[in-house]
Amino acid sequence: MMAHLTRLAGTGARSGRGSLGTDLSVAGLALAAAAILGNLVEEFTAFEWSLWAIQAILALSLVLIWGYGGIFSFGQAAIYGIGGYTYGFWAINFADNTGESLTAVVAAVVVGAAFAGLLGYFMFYGNVTNVYVAIITLATSLVLFAFVNSTSGSEYRIGDAPFGGYNGMTRIPRLTWRLPGGASHELTRVQFFIVCVAAGLVIAVGIRVLSRRPFGRIAVAMQHNELRTELTGYNVRAHKLALFTIGGGIAAFAGALFAAWGRFISPPVFSLTPAALVVIWILVGSRSSVAGAFIGVLIVEGLSSWAGGSDGNNEPIVLGATLIFIVLFLPGGVIANAAKAWAVASSKAASRWSTPPASSDSAQASQVQPATPPVPDWMVEANGERSNSPIATRMVTKRFGGLTAVDNVTLEFPPTGVSCLIGPNGAGKSTLFGLLSGQYSVTDGMVLMDEQNLTKWPAFQRARQGIGVKLQVASIYKELSVRENLWLACFAMPHNRSTADVRTEQLLEWLELSGHAQNPAGTLSHGQQQWLEIGMVVATSPCVVLLDEPTAGMTREETRRTGELVSQLGEWASVIVVEHDMEFVRQLGAPVTVLHRGQLFTQGSFDDLSRDERILDIYLGRE
Amino acid sequence: MALDRLFNLGFDLFSGISILLLVSIGLAVIFGMRGIINLAHGEFIMLGAFATLSGVRSGLNVWLAMLIAALSVGVFGIVLERLLIRRLYGRLFDTMLATWGVSLILVQLVDNHYGSVTEGIVVPVGSFAVGEFSMSAYNLILMGAAAALTAGTFTVMRRTRYGLLARAATQSPTMAQELGVNTSLINMWTFGLGSALAGAAGALLAPLVGVIPTMGQTYVARSFMTVIVGGPSFIAGTVSASGLLGLVENVATNRFTPVIGQAMLLIAAIVILRFMPQGLTGRRDSR
Repeated sequence: MMAHLTRLAGTGARSGRGSLGTDLSVAGLALAAAAILGNLVEEFTAFEWSLWAIQAILALSLVLIWGYGGIFSFGQAAIYGIGGYTYGFWAINFADNTGESLTAVVAAVVVGAAFAGLLGYFMFYGNVTNVYVAIITLATSLVLFAFVNSTSGSEYRIGDAPFGGYNGMTRIPRLTWRLPGGASHELTRVQFFIVCVAAGLVIAVGIRVLSRRPFGRIAVAMQHNELRTELTGYNVRAHKLALFTIGGGIAAFAGALFAAWGRFISPPVFSLTPAALVVIWILVGSRSSVAGAFIGVLIVEGLSSWAGGSDGNNEPIVLGATLIFIVLFLPGGVIANAAKAWAVASSKAASRWSTPPASSDSAQASQVQPATPPVPDWMVEANGERSNSPIATRMVTKRFGGLTAVDNVTLEFPPTGVSCLIGPNGAGKSTLFGLLSGQYSVTDGMVLMDEQNLTKWPAFQRARQGIGVKLQVASIYKELSVRENLWLACFAMPHNRSTADVRTEQLLEWLELSGHAQNPAGTLSHGQQQWLEIGMVVATSPCVVLLDEPTAGMTREETRRTGELVSQLGEWASVIVVEHDMEFVRQLGAPVTVLHRGQLFTQGSFDDLSRDERILDIYLGRE
Repeated sequence: MALDRLFNLGFDLFSGISILLLVSIGLAVIFGMRGIINLAHGEFIMLGAFATLSGVRSGLNVWLAMLIAALSVGVFGIVLERLLIRRLYGRLFDTMLATWGVSLILVQLVDNHYGSVTEGIVVPVGSFAVGEFSMSAYNLILMGAAAALTAGTFTVMRRTRYGLLARAATQSPTMAQELGVNTSLINMWTFGLGSALAGAAGALLAPLVGVIPTMGQTYVARSFMTVIVGGPSFIAGTVSASGLLGLVENVATNRFTPVIGQAMLLIAAIVILRFMPQGLTGRRDSR
């Protein structure tokens, strides 16, 4: 059992291993166990356990958005409260007439998701950073707390249901169902417990299924490297919003069950203590695995009920101390630490038989046969017909505060072939790339491609249009495996899983990285990381490839190979290379553009320019 | 509109803005200089208020009690920094969670010790009248204090050796270290300064509001919104954001209720951040 849990924990957000079958059988077993236990114990005990199941659902909502999407929110408990109040309003007003309260649950989910969606729109489309998301959600909770507390007057009511101010909303109907035309049934306490557990397990399995779908993989990708995900052509903001909205729906669902459970909901649900509890549950469990949500709730709530109920005066002190303790000594949670200890123990046992890592083999292999494998066909085919000018700038200017990084530059690049962009440090080369790729917005001027004006387009749309960029500092998903890195890039363009699977393998071969496919990309050598990023850029079959210092830090041999890669790409795409290594620029034999102090300085062949005294002057700083 | 009524409205508005500035400036120092999200900031304010209360109870002069309160919260901040925060620089979320833990503990400890009843402090300042409206002279002191503390912080940051080193450590910690700056010590003083400012805010608010253990919650959200909306140049930013958000809150409070005022402040902040993600003093065109 422990081994299984560790596996569940380990595979959580990291990758998509494991299968639906396993998930379903684990969930089925858990449900059966809950059903049997629920019928064995006293009714009241089962009823108490229902609360834990509800809390686990709430915890799952944070696992989804924080563990998978990397969005930390303090607001899950507040949305839970919104769900509870919505259920209350709906059920009090309609349950007597309709004979069921399931529609009230639906209403709660819809309202919770809508609230999260609205808040999420402002946060994510404003590009506020993750820390600000935490603070805004916290502030929102506190404002809701103050608001609901102030609603004790009888004018604060919706239909027959008063808010009730700090006294809370009472006499909320229990969960009741009715078939059309049939009698209405109120769930017994044991039935309610089983329903809560079943709902929690369904959501948990759902989250795991989602994590194996491209949607979930992209969520994990954007958590690890938001910029690369955007530059690969994924709409990061929309993804975050979708994730946050779903998380809101789940939290509100839990809130509806809570209101039906206690027949009561009151303002403290919006206060800081519940907000802290949700975070503590999954910190104790594991923020990146669905099992962590259940285990965290069981440990924390089990301990607190064993220690004499959670209504003790000192609960906040215990909670606070737990938070500090976890942060200082248990980052990653109980499961992850247990898994780590398990892994260390088993790797110690295994290390006696281990063979040296495969990396040295493949490095030798690439030296033995220096011929570069051919480019996969699909990259070339995607670029069969292109117009005359793939990308051009018209008088673009970019200012950062008082600094003009790019000054009135008009440039045009040929539809295929390699071009080089050189200039001393601070000449504006990388900024110009940022303007082309959409990382920066222009202060003035236009960016054009195929006679379309891209100036206002966000980065992910430009990527879809065919602009790929390799950044100066290799921007890859260091924690994800090499294969996952390439898969994410391959999936970006035709949104097709099987095509992406095939292409990933082809790219691994082309880049000679097959031997490292399972390793985290961060463990690759510097040069291999550069190639990997180049591979990710071209995987989307772009017609414009921007390479910012592709050979920085490479050995001579690696540089030579990179030159071959670049020339291969130039056969079907417009490749623009920023480079300081003049030997490499000469090897490429491409037309060269010189930037100086943000302005276009001169253009020509490498040989022409190497005879130009003025270029030596600007590189050496001679006036 | 009669002139006296106009004056009264303006007086209210500036009192509100001063309070916002007071509760935010300490946070701005800690967040702006060290990028630390101190979720216990509200509780530092609360501690300042309770320290003042204790001082007055034991027979101290009110103003002296306020000064001592601010200084003791500063010392408390330094102790906390040495024990906890020091281990967490660069771990944004962990700092946030740990200080949140601190906040929960502080509220409960103070509640256990003092109970949750409201207690007033009487200050020996009267009121003055403009036309038909009577106004509290204490609010004038509040405005003066807000201005003085802000100017003081500005001067410390610009004119003192500590301020220079602190700004250097903010911009490039590694470079500062290589130049021989003891950044750890600078961090400690920065956190202490921010805490003392929070304590001063609490002390100054004590005669105005109910001194209760949960009073920090009232201020933590709006001080954070103010600092975030202010943006990177934190002193100028906090002043301008206090003005803007204070205006919104004040108008909504006068027109509706204080709760609506608080909600409007939050909504205004969120909308501003949607269109100016870097805040009021952020560079608008660097995305």
